[in-house]
Amino acid sequence: MIRVALRGIRAHVVRFALSVLAVALGVAFVAGTFALRSMLSSTFSDIVATTTLGDAYVRGSHEAGGPSGADLSAGTQYNRVPLTLVDDLERVDGVAAAIPDLQGPVVLVGADGTAVQSSQAPSFAFGYDPRDRATHLVAGRAPRDGSEIGLESQTLRASGLALGDRTRVVVGGKIQPVTVVGELGVGAALAGATVVFLDPATAQAAFAPDGDVAHVAVNGDPGVTQDELVQRLAPVVHAADVDARVVTGDAERAQARAQIMSLLGFVTTFLLVFAAIALFVGAFIIANTFAMWVRQRMRELALLRAVGASPLQVFASIVLQAALVGVVGAALGLAGGLGLVVLLRTVLANLGMHLAGRIPVDGFTIVVSVLVGTAVSVVAAAIPARRAALVPPVEALRDEVTVPERSLHRRAVLGLVVLVVGIAGVLVAVRRPDAPRASSWLGAGAAGVLLGVLLVSPVVARSVLRVLGAPVVAWRPVGRLARGNVTRNPRRTANTAGALMIGMALVGAAAVIAATTQASTRAIVEHEATTDFILRVAPSATVPQQALADVRAVPGVRAADAFASGGVLVRVGSGTDARAAGSLAITGIDPAAVGRSIRTDVVAGDFPGALRAGEVAVQRSTAHDRDWSVGDRLTLVGTSGQVPATIGAVIDSPAFGVPLVVGQGVLDRLVPTAQQQVTTVFVTAEPGTDLTALRAGLTDAVRPYLVVSVLDSEQFVSQLADQVNRVLVILYALLGLSVVIAVLGIVNTLALSVIERTREIGLLRAVGLGRLQLGSTITVESVLTAVFGTAVGLVVGVALASTLPRLYADQGLRTLAVPWGSLGLMLVLAVVVGVLAAAWPAVRAARLPVLEAVSVE
Amino acid sequence: MTTQTDGTAIATARDLVKVYGQGPMAVRALDGVDVDLVRGELTAIMGPSGSGKSTLMHCLAGLDRPTSGAVVVDGQEISALSERRLTQLRRTRVGFVFQAYNLIPTLTALENITLPLDIARRPVDRAHLEHVVDTLGLRDRLTHKPAELSGGQQQRVACARALVARPAIVFADEPTGNLDSSSSAEVLGFLRRSVDELGQSVVMVTHDPTSAGYAHRVLFLADGRVVGELRDPTAERVLDALAGLRTAGRP
Repeated sequence: MIRVALRGIRAHVVRFALSVLAVALGVAFVAGTFALRSMLSSTFSDIVATTTLGDAYVRGSHEAGGPSGADLSAGTQYNRVPLTLVDDLERVDGVAAAIPDLQGPVVLVGADGTAVQSSQAPSFAFGYDPRDRATHLVAGRAPRDGSEIGLESQTLRASGLALGDRTRVVVGGKIQPVTVVGELGVGAALAGATVVFLDPATAQAAFAPDGDVAHVAVNGDPGVTQDELVQRLAPVVHAADVDARVVTGDAERAQARAQIMSLLGFVTTFLLVFAAIALFVGAFIIANTFAMWVRQRMRELALLRAVGASPLQVFASIVLQAALVGVVGAALGLAGGLGLVVLLRTVLANLGMHLAGRIPVDGFTIVVSVLVGTAVSVVAAAIPARRAALVPPVEALRDEVTVPERSLHRRAVLGLVVLVVGIAGVLVAVRRPDAPRASSWLGAGAAGVLLGVLLVSPVVARSVLRVLGAPVVAWRPVGRLARGNVTRNPRRTANTAGALMIGMALVGAAAVIAATTQASTRAIVEHEATTDFILRVAPSATVPQQALADVRAVPGVRAADAFASGGVLVRVGSGTDARAAGSLAITGIDPAAVGRSIRTDVVAGDFPGALRAGEVAVQRSTAHDRDWSVGDRLTLVGTSGQVPATIGAVIDSPAFGVPLVVGQGVLDRLVPTAQQQVTTVFVTAEPGTDLTALRAGLTDAVRPYLVVSVLDSEQFVSQLADQVNRVLVILYALLGLSVVIAVLGIVNTLALSVIERTREIGLLRAVGLGRLQLGSTITVESVLTAVFGTAVGLVVGVALASTLPRLYADQGLRTLAVPWGSLGLMLVLAVVVGVLAAAWPAVRAARLPVLEAVSVE
Repeated sequence: MTTQTDGTAIATARDLVKVYGQGPMAVRALDGVDVDLVRGELTAIMGPSGSGKSTLMHCLAGLDRPTSGAVVVDGQEISALSERRLTQLRRTRVGFVFQAYNLIPTLTALENITLPLDIARRPVDRAHLEHVVDTLGLRDRLTHKPAELSGGQQQRVACARALVARPAIVFADEPTGNLDSSSSAEVLGFLRRSVDELGQSVVMVTHDPTSAGYAHRVLFLADGRVVGELRDPTAERVLDALAGLRTAGRP
């Protein structure tokens, strides 16, 4: 039987080629995801390994807030430690150097006069200490004062500057003319980050003006172990009576690595979801291929049964073929996935984002890829294989082998049940959007609806295709023949279209979400922002304090209200019995801004009053989730201190978009100014000011800072919309893969059904059907299938996405918008896809010799 | 050997040779065939398996290309026509009835009957269609799919399809090969009536003497040559002729 199985594959290589390709594409995605993850993790591990070289670290003893956005160490943060510790630490026996962490955001002006920045990677400035093991001087010398800088090697190349060149940096909120005096190496690919080195005094003034730093790295003398060092340092820290503790370098590195891994985990999960979709779609193709293959070979299989093969042997032979398809496809996919990552790395390197050189091919990636590919193939082939195994031997003796087409009844009932349950789940979520598990209900419901529609689709295919096919029937005889062919076997048509249906449901949903987000953003800005101009900053940068001062000095400016953000750890209650309630993002504003540049809906309490009184305002959704109300006492813990704050107001403001809002003064006590991030400034004009002149003045004021731009509210909205569109492009690219696989499925089905219908095609040609007419018939079949899948998929996707504004109004999704234009475009795309998919099968069919076709057995 | 008849020829073959394969493996399926098929007659072509009768019909119908020789159908030389012109020929001037699998399963009986007209985008001659349908007794079957028809009904639909476009000539390849005797009689009777009443020209390949008995004329083929001919045959005379051929063919 093994030989029969292998011969079967060899005799029909083409027939299996598309299945192999489908598996390969899905597996390529999986393998690529894992390889990308390994590459990213090794890049960031390298950064940790080469930048975190201290033998011991002195840092805060309690957690204080989440990522503030302007710090390399995203993840858990601790309270800051005073610089005064450094001298005490250096006096300890066995300590070679105690180096405070002096880092912060910077803007470097390159040789072309623009800011040096690659893609989305951040820019950092560090205080350079020659004793720091992480950095070494490559050329030139170390910066000595505020008028000199050193540049990391890759940054130096990217900037186009050379040693001795004069340029400017924006550091500590001020513009500084500087000379490049040194090139420094850090011994790791920095993933595109721009790195500038300052002399320690300048860095301290800029990033630790209050005398506190995130940590102090301690290098031990040779022969002193990390543990010994920690034991010697601990009493000193204790004696200094500061809120700090000492950990070993290894512990610090392990923690840094763990944080990176958990961040990468999100990326991996995100990508794997799309890989899973691609594989699911690929499984459809494999199942379809084997189903058709079994159908065509009923007689041969019956003959095998007649000569004594057991049902199990027949089943095993087909499953073996499927496994072979899976293994070959997985091997190709693995190679393809790694190739994809190599390509991605090259592209990123050209864009200035350097990643670690190794493409890690670990055993895990290989095993998972091959297993996934094989398992998907075998599972997909199992159902047709079972059917083949149960062919009665007597079929071999029959003249006309008819495959009993199983009734769709069972499938219809099952599909309806799943569909109804799915709809019920969605309704539960929509009815009670505030329920704690509303999102889970929606997710499960949506999955049920999609699965139910997939199951039911063969039942509805006939009627839907009759409607969709109505316009083409007038094109005789092509239209009628084509419609007849797609409705002849609704199960097959629906399965073929199913692959496209899944992709298009996601595309439709993504399009609706994007349009809704944009419409909602527009509505929010129009509703909440009462400002004349908005200052925005380049991604991952912050508006310098001096720029803010310059803007306020522009004639005609009544106020420039900055929105400064950071992260805090929240405890409920005050004093010792306070309970931790997690890390939350927080924004600080000038209380006077309320009503001046921003109009906020207040649910309870007095918003501006709360801000003036040093109280905290909480978003409605946060208050609801955590059961907080006006008058509750919270303790906010930031990196530079903790502040007890009463909830003074509950607000409903997607414009703030963060759970907590406080007055600027409170934020300054929690997060040092140098660590706050200001992405947006609302500028309000004096009444009667000429706005055109004001805009020119503002533009002049921010020009030296390079990263700040002046927008009116219309531009602001379209800039936010651009961000959504950028995400949408990435989503479309990822979903594109499943659409490509779906197209392969259509090609596959058409090619197989051409083989299956050889005799019918011969007859049609014999009675005078021209080649072009035959090709057109197959093309119309393909287009009908593609449009069917797309139409049903879009309907499902749009319907599901339309429920989101009810659920996520608090996250700012408030105005439902359905992008009919884009959806129409998708249908046009489906027609194009159909035509493309039909090309090869149509040519094959047209080339069939009439006589051979008509007399084929 | 050249056959001579009184009527004008609807299709003729001159010195028709068809060789399959090359070199020592070559098979001469047709070895210098000359035939004239008479307009307005039902001609049967008979012969044992491998005699070349099907090949002759395929060459005459433009389904296969002869290796050498000339074929003229309805006044047109077809042996050198392009695929495109051959398709047009089949579409407009030739009708086919095959042994089995004659109908497109997705189309109704009526749609199958008018398929050649649809393909050619010609209008349906309603009166003619009604006449053909009634003659074949298919009126109450027109909306059925082929799967819902009996074998005899399917072949009658195939005959109707072959006739409705008023082709110059209808080729029938073992049209009753898969039918029981009463269905066969119906189909053959109809083919004969289409000649007698509608003036249709029909060529039928068969190995069944009873079927050949319905013809105006029977041509006998053996080893790729025309070896005999019978006018106004009966089943007995066909059997006798076949027996004679067999004796003659014996060394």
